[in-house]
Amino acid sequence: MTAPPETTPGAAPVAGPRAPGAGRRLAAAALRHPAVVPIGAVVLALLIGAVIILAAGLDPIAAYTAVIQNSLDPGQLDYTFSVWAFICGMALAAAIPLRMGEFNLGGNGQLVLGGLTATVIASSLPLPSIVLIPLAVIGAAIVAGAFGAISAPLATRFGIPIIISTLLLSPVAVAVVSFLVRFPLGEAGSAVAQTTRLPEGARMWALGDLSYSNAGLIIIVLMMVVFWVVDSRSAVGFELRVVGANRRFGAYGGVRVGRLSLGAMAAAGAAAGVVGAVIVMSSPFRLIDGALISPGYTFAGLAAALLAGGRPALIPVTAILFTVLQVGGAGMERSADVPRQLSDVLQGVVIVVLALRTVLDQRRTERSSA
Amino acid sequence: MVSRASDDAADAARPPAPVEGVAAVELIGVGKRFGSVVANDGVDLVLRRGTVHAVMGENGAGKSTLMSMLFGLLEPDSGEIRVDGRPVRFGGPLDAIAAGLGMVHQHFRLFDTMSVADNVVYGAEPRRRGILGRAFVDRRAADARVRELAARYGLDTDPAAVVGSLSAGARQRVEILKALHRDARILILDEPTAVLTPSEVDSLFAVIRRAADAGTTVVLVTHKIHEVLAVSDEVTVLRDGRVTGRFATRDATGPELVRAMTGRAIAEVKNPGTGTPGDAVLEVEGLSVSDGRRDVVRDVSLAVRRGEIVGIAGVSGNGQHELVAAVLGTIDASAGRIRLMGSDVTRSTVRDRRAAGLAVIPEDRRGEGSAVTMTVAENAALGHHRSAPIGASTGIRRGWMSLKAERSQARQLIGDYDVRTSGEQQLIGSLSGGNAQKVVVARELSHGAPLLIAEQPTQGVDVGAIEAIHGRLLDYRAAGNGILLVSHEISELLALADRVLVMYGGAIVASFSAAEATTERIGAAMAGAAAADGPVDGVRAGAATDAVAAGAAADPVIDQGDRA
Repeated sequence: MTAPPETTPGAAPVAGPRAPGAGRRLAAAALRHPAVVPIGAVVLALLIGAVIILAAGLDPIAAYTAVIQNSLDPGQLDYTFSVWAFICGMALAAAIPLRMGEFNLGGNGQLVLGGLTATVIASSLPLPSIVLIPLAVIGAAIVAGAFGAISAPLATRFGIPIIISTLLLSPVAVAVVSFLVRFPLGEAGSAVAQTTRLPEGARMWALGDLSYSNAGLIIIVLMMVVFWVVDSRSAVGFELRVVGANRRFGAYGGVRVGRLSLGAMAAAGAAAGVVGAVIVMSSPFRLIDGALISPGYTFAGLAAALLAGGRPALIPVTAILFTVLQVGGAGMERSADVPRQLSDVLQGVVIVVLALRTVLDQRRTERSSA
Repeated sequence: MVSRASDDAADAARPPAPVEGVAAVELIGVGKRFGSVVANDGVDLVLRRGTVHAVMGENGAGKSTLMSMLFGLLEPDSGEIRVDGRPVRFGGPLDAIAAGLGMVHQHFRLFDTMSVADNVVYGAEPRRRGILGRAFVDRRAADARVRELAARYGLDTDPAAVVGSLSAGARQRVEILKALHRDARILILDEPTAVLTPSEVDSLFAVIRRAADAGTTVVLVTHKIHEVLAVSDEVTVLRDGRVTGRFATRDATGPELVRAMTGRAIAEVKNPGTGTPGDAVLEVEGLSVSDGRRDVVRDVSLAVRRGEIVGIAGVSGNGQHELVAAVLGTIDASAGRIRLMGSDVTRSTVRDRRAAGLAVIPEDRRGEGSAVTMTVAENAALGHHRSAPIGASTGIRRGWMSLKAERSQARQLIGDYDVRTSGEQQLIGSLSGGNAQKVVVARELSHGAPLLIAEQPTQGVDVGAIEAIHGRLLDYRAAGNGILLVSHEISELLALADRVLVMYGGAIVASFSAAEATTERIGAAMAGAAAADGPVDGVRAGAATDAVAAGAAADPVIDQGDRA
C-alpha cells in the first residue's frame, strides 16, 4: 500500500516529512485507545500533586511512597478493604445512572438516609440478628432508593435535569438527618451529635476477627457483581446502554425511558443506602452526625465511576486508586508532613481531566462523521 | 471477480476525458486504509479550473474518504495532492481552507441559534474599528457581504434569518456562502442533494453552474446518475476504493456510469401491480399533532391494508415526520385516533405499539435510527432484545439476553443485506451512510411486523442498494404486510406505491391511485396547487416558502423527476 517514495517520482518532495507523519499517525492511533484518557488523567494528577508538594518544599517521592506504604500496609489491609468497598458502593450509586447518561450527584443524601433508616430499624425492633440485620439493610435500600427515585419523575415530567435535582435535594436530606441525630434521636447527655450504640444483635456480622471488614462489605461486592451481570446480560442493562448512547434511538426502539430512569435512580439510591446501612452497623455502631459524609466516599465513588466510564468491570480497579489516595493520604500526613487534603486535590484533577474527555470524544465523533 | 477486474482496468485505461482546462487540483496515486479495510487505493483525480467534476460511487466506494483527504480531514497513507501544481500537505481543514478549498458537508455544521450572516462570516468576520481596536464584528458589513455573495451566485438567502428556522435547502445555501465568503476556489459538495426537494435541487444546480462559469472548481460527490448527467463536465467513478471509470459527461451515458459504479447493469424495480389488499393494519382518523404553537399535522385520516404500499409524498417539513412520530408514539397526538391491527393505540407506549406489529425505518438515521457509538450487533438488537432468540418474552430467561444470539443475528443480517463492515463488533458510526442504513432497514424488516413505516428508506443509499431495498419492500408487501412509505423522491413512490397521498401544510391534500399517479400530478400537489385556495398558511415558514418556490419552478422539477 505505502509505496517506497523512491519508486514514485512525484512523491519525492514529501519523502522527508512523511516519516514523522507516519510516527504521528501511529501516535494518534495509540492516543485513541480508550484507556489513554483515564490513565493520562491519573498520571497528570500525580504530576500536578508532585509540583504542589515540591512547591511546599517537601519531597514528592517520599510523600507518594508514604501513600502506597500506608494504604497497602498489611496491618492496615483490613481497613483499606473496607474503604475500598464503601467507595465501590458509592461508585455504583454514580455508575448506574451514568450508564444511561445521567449524573447522580445526590449520593450524600442517599447515603445518610440509608444510615438513618438502618439505625432506626436496628435500634428499635426487638428481632433476632438473622432477621434484623437484613431488614435494616433492605429498609435502608428502600428509603434511600425512594429518595433517589424522586429525581426521575422530576426530569421526565417537569424537565428538571437529574444532575440538578440530585445535587439540590441531597443537602436537604443531609440537613434533616443532621437535625434528627442532634435532637429527637440524639444520645442524651452526649456532647457529640450521635445516636446511642446499636444493640449487640444489630451489629453487622464480623468476618473472623477483623475489626473493619465485615459481612456488609460482602453485600456491597455482591451488588457490584449483580450490576455487572445486569449491565452486560440483561435487557434492562442493554436499554440503559442504548439510552446512554442515544436517547432518541432508545425511545424509538420502544425503551420506556421514564421508567428506566426511575429504576436506575432507585437502584442508585438503594446502593448508596446500603453503604450507609453498612457503615452505621459497623464500629462504632452508631449514627454520628457528619461521619458518613466526611470521609468523602461519595465524591471518591463518583470519581471512580467516571474514571471507569460507568463500566461495571472497571469500577473495582478504579476504586483501588481512590482507596489508595484516601487511606494513604492519612499516612502521608503523618510520615511525610504533606496535608491529606492533597488527595482531594488529586481526585479533583482526575475529574477535570475526565471532563475534558467529553470534549475530545465530541471532536472524535465529528471527525468520524466527516 | 477476475473478469470484473479486467473490466476495471479497461475502464481506467480509457484516455483521459478531452476536457480543456488547467488543473486546479491533482490527486496522484492517493491511498488510505483503515485497519484492514482499503478505503482508497492509488486514486488519480484531476480537477480542472472552472469545471464541475462529479465523483461517483456506491456507498463505501471511498468517495467520502477521498474528499476528506482532499479537505485535510484525513491524511493520505500514500500518494500526493497538488493544488495549482504545488504539492500540499494539509494538517487539517484550516490548511485546506487557506489553500482555497471549501467543503459543504452532508451533515451541516451550522450554529442553529445564530443568524445566517453570523454563520457565514464565522471565523473570518469583518471587524469594525472602535475603541478596542478591531474587537467587534461589523454586522452591517457581514450582512452586506452575504447579500453581495448571494446576489453574485444566485443564492437566495436572508442574512438576518435564524439558521434554526431554515429549511434544509436554505441551510445548505448558508454552507455554500460560508465557503464562498472565505474565497474558496475549489468547492466540494458532499451529497448535496440528499436533503433537498426537487426544486431546491434545481436551484442548487443553477448555483453550481454559475460558480463554475465564474471560475470556481466544483466537486460534486454523489451517486445519483441524473444529477451527474445534468450538471457535471467530467465524471470520475470509484468502486471499492479504486477508479473504475473516467468520462467527459457529454460522452457518458447512464448505463455506462451504472456499470462503472456497480460492475453490472441495473434492472429498474417496477411495481408488479397490486393484489387484493386485505384487512387494515393501520387506521388513522382525524389525527392532528401540535408543536405547541400550531398544528403541524392537521386532521389526517388514512388507512394501510395488508398487501399494499401507501406512499406519502410531500416536500420535507410538511408534517410527514410528525405523522410518523405520532403513529410510532414518540410524540403525542392532539386530536384523533390511531388503530393498529384494529385496536386503538392512541395512548399506548412505543413498546406496546411495536409489540402490536409495527416497525419503523426512521428518516434520521444517526439521530434516531441508530446509536453511532454502539456496535452493529447492538444496533441490530434493539427492539429484538426482549424476544427470542436474543431475549425471551416468557419463562426463566425473561429479561435476559443471549450475546451469542445477538452476534449471530447481526452476522446473518450483515450477510443477507451485504453490509460492508469488518464485523458485527464494528461501531455503526464508522460505517458509511449507506451501510448503516442497510443495518437499520435489516433490523426493522426482520421484525416481520404487519405494518412497516418506511421513511426515506433509500436516503443516502447508492444505486445498487436502492434496488435491493426496493426489492425487499416489494417482497415485504407480497408477504401480506402493509407499508406506509414516506418519500421525497417521486420516482420512488411511482415505482413502489399502490396509492400515493400528498401532504402539504400538515394536511393530506391529494390522493392518487397507482394508475392516476404521475410525476406532474404529484409534483403539483406537493407544491400546494390543489390546496392553493385553501387556508394553507404553512406549517413552518421555511417549508411554506419552499413549497411556493416549488410551485414557481414546477416544470424543471418534473424534468428532474422524469430523469430519475
